[in-house]
Amino acid sequence: MATTLAPGTLLREMADLWVTLGKQGQAESGMGVLRACTMTLVVVAEEEDDGSAIGETIAALMPEHPARTILVRLRRRGGRELTGRVFAQCWMPFGQRRQICCEQIEIMASDASLDDVASVVAPVAAPDLPLIVWCRSGRVAAQPEFWRFAATASKVVVDSGSWGDPKAALQRLAEVAARGFAIGDFSWTHLTRWREMVSQVFENGRNAARLPEISRVRVRYEEAGRAATGRYLGAWVVDALASAGVRVELLLEKGDAPSVELGGGSFQVELARRGDRLVTTVDGLSHCTGLPLPTDYLLLREELGILRRDAVLERVLALAARL
Amino acid sequence: MAPVNPFEDPLRFERRVPECAVVIFGANGDLTKRKLIPALYRLAYDRRLSAGFAVVGISRTPMSDEQFREKMQEAVQSFSEDTEFAPDVWEGFARGLFYVAGDVNDSELYQRLGRKLAEIENSRSTGGNVLFYLSTQPSQYATAALGLGSAGLGRGNGWQRLIVEKPFGHDLASARALSDQLHKVFDESQVYRIDHYLGKETVQNILAFRFGNGIFEPLWNRRYINHVQITAAESIGVEGRGAYYQEAGALADMIQNHLLQVMATIAMEPSASFRANSVRDERSKLLRSIKAMAADEIRASTTPGQYGPARIGGADVPGFRQESGVDPQSQTNTYAAVTVFVENWRWAGVPFYIRSGKRLPKRVTEIAIQFNAAPLAIFDGDTGDTGPNLLIVRIQPEEGISLKFLSKRPGTGMKLRPVSMDFNYGSSFGERSPSAYETLLLDALIGDATLYTRQDMVEASWAAVEPIQNVWRETQSDFPNYAAGTWGPAASDAMLARRGHAWRKP
Repeated sequence: MATTLAPGTLLREMADLWVTLGKQGQAESGMGVLRACTMTLVVVAEEEDDGSAIGETIAALMPEHPARTILVRLRRRGGRELTGRVFAQCWMPFGQRRQICCEQIEIMASDASLDDVASVVAPVAAPDLPLIVWCRSGRVAAQPEFWRFAATASKVVVDSGSWGDPKAALQRLAEVAARGFAIGDFSWTHLTRWREMVSQVFENGRNAARLPEISRVRVRYEEAGRAATGRYLGAWVVDALASAGVRVELLLEKGDAPSVELGGGSFQVELARRGDRLVTTVDGLSHCTGLPLPTDYLLLREELGILRRDAVLERVLALAARL
Repeated sequence: MAPVNPFEDPLRFERRVPECAVVIFGANGDLTKRKLIPALYRLAYDRRLSAGFAVVGISRTPMSDEQFREKMQEAVQSFSEDTEFAPDVWEGFARGLFYVAGDVNDSELYQRLGRKLAEIENSRSTGGNVLFYLSTQPSQYATAALGLGSAGLGRGNGWQRLIVEKPFGHDLASARALSDQLHKVFDESQVYRIDHYLGKETVQNILAFRFGNGIFEPLWNRRYINHVQITAAESIGVEGRGAYYQEAGALADMIQNHLLQVMATIAMEPSASFRANSVRDERSKLLRSIKAMAADEIRASTTPGQYGPARIGGADVPGFRQESGVDPQSQTNTYAAVTVFVENWRWAGVPFYIRSGKRLPKRVTEIAIQFNAAPLAIFDGDTGDTGPNLLIVRIQPEEGISLKFLSKRPGTGMKLRPVSMDFNYGSSFGERSPSAYETLLLDALIGDATLYTRQDMVEASWAAVEPIQNVWRETQSDFPNYAAGTWGPAASDAMLARRGHAWRKP
């Protein structure tokens, strides 16, 4: 028998939750709780995804991006099933007496009910604030129902690295972007610190003047799921150099540790990951900076900070899909 | 024209520092160890510094580059409160640390410095960009600037900038004289007068709050605002700085610079853009609009104070005159409260009460904007505990903004009670906030002077404060006039009471 979920029930449960939390806070500290919300974050995950890891990521994000979070967990079974519950994610800032709380709604849905999720999410989303969808599942992202649901979002964040064949994945994502979706892609977000350091090398006038010497770009990427990232990096460098009138040969290679080399003649720039450090070497002069290993938390934190379309990503994505 | 960097992505990239050298005069001092080097290391840790970034420390103590690096490593390990010490990041950063020993008064020092900077420009591709940081005795500022000028270091291949720490003079004439000396070598556009209060996240947030939102600015004037209170309270005493503090006092040490700048940020007109000079023009205009007071007005509208001994939490606390290095008959103000009026259409008649003091009950800095009461009281009889609408901007220790308004108490009848709607910077945005020195150093290295004080701003604040200073100097005050651990002298409460106001107890 099909199970249904009325948005009104969730809204009532949320209202009750705040009354309960307020009373508890008043009794414990005399100060109530503080409700914080800057957006609605919809997390779409598979039922078998590690619930506690997702919970930890959401909890870590809340202090910087307090949000009403709606976790949609999808079951791979037929029949229409939709259930939900409401709870709060609270934390006590260090040295303070008042708890800060954000609402969380968990919706369990079967694949067949994916089309019904939108009608539940829309009324329970925080009004007048952006709605961001983070889809953790490549399988779900391949379903047209998902994109119908995501059409109301201000931004959709995915990881094309988990979508199988990297070229096909980037082509699919480029099609989505061309349809007008504001997208974020963890495979691209992985590169921000790298790109920043490449850019920094060429902020130096001497290095910038040597751009025309570059004739070859070599990108090495780790095999496990990061081929899309390698393609993005190669496409970005080629695109940027082309905008400066420099045409180069691009080599994409699998390797043990990710790196990028830009070179030609006597000019050589290399960036390579060494554990949680990024080593930049320009003509033999090395420079080491921190490069934390990317986690879902770090990647999503960056994406939640950008709520408009990313023109650089869209341009590079179109090129990476053709490589 | 410099080639355009085709790799820029302003949407995602953080602001970064171009290749340059920072020269710190007073490199063996406390500020360098506690604030400057930890802030620069943090910028390196956050990938904000370029590979060729260099620091040249200058002080009298003979030291090799290697010894300087070891000292600075100790400083980073001791004073970087929320930054991991990463040996390989440090190694790269430390390779750019150099040291030149010498006396600021010795012209040979500047020749040696010039040679060192030329070497660095060549080996680290700094392009001749140099930021000079004067972290010395204020009496040495002009000497150092002139020394740099005589060695030709105020001009060069790239940019040259000079950061000066407060105090910028001890009165209007000395502030002008200092600027004149600095301008013999550096244009005003090259001079960055640092006021670390302006680097605080919440002070910057005042601009976002006022000019990023449409709902507050219509209320931001004499029609709706009754008065403004700015409080900078410290619970500690002079903590071994008695001799220095005796010469300065709360009025010159806090109000003349930090608090008048905060007030200018609260009260300035919207600037045409967020460019440095646009914002600073408005701050400066506001400071120049502060009403000059005659001696009689000063006596009625200001209150000096000095703390006396007390027992706090079971411990005996000495009065200011009992502190080490302090004259037992000292007339120094450890507390200052002033009433300021701004003569423009927006603020005419609205008092700005500004107070700062040592040995007050708690450490707190905040701005409270009190709005006028509702024009008609429609709730008859006992409406409960009412109070004015307040907008409170908290600067420290907890940064945030609160709005206090009245709400109906649940139940039958119409009883009102005040409630507070809070925005807490630290918890609403849990990300680590950069320290004021990180922000300000980064700004200076990038060439953004928005948060730095310009000569006309310094002079305008001295013009407002100097007459008060003169009247206080001419008057023998009956000090001490408040006990340590209290909210200041009774005369300060009376000052507000004359206008029907009362100090908040934050």
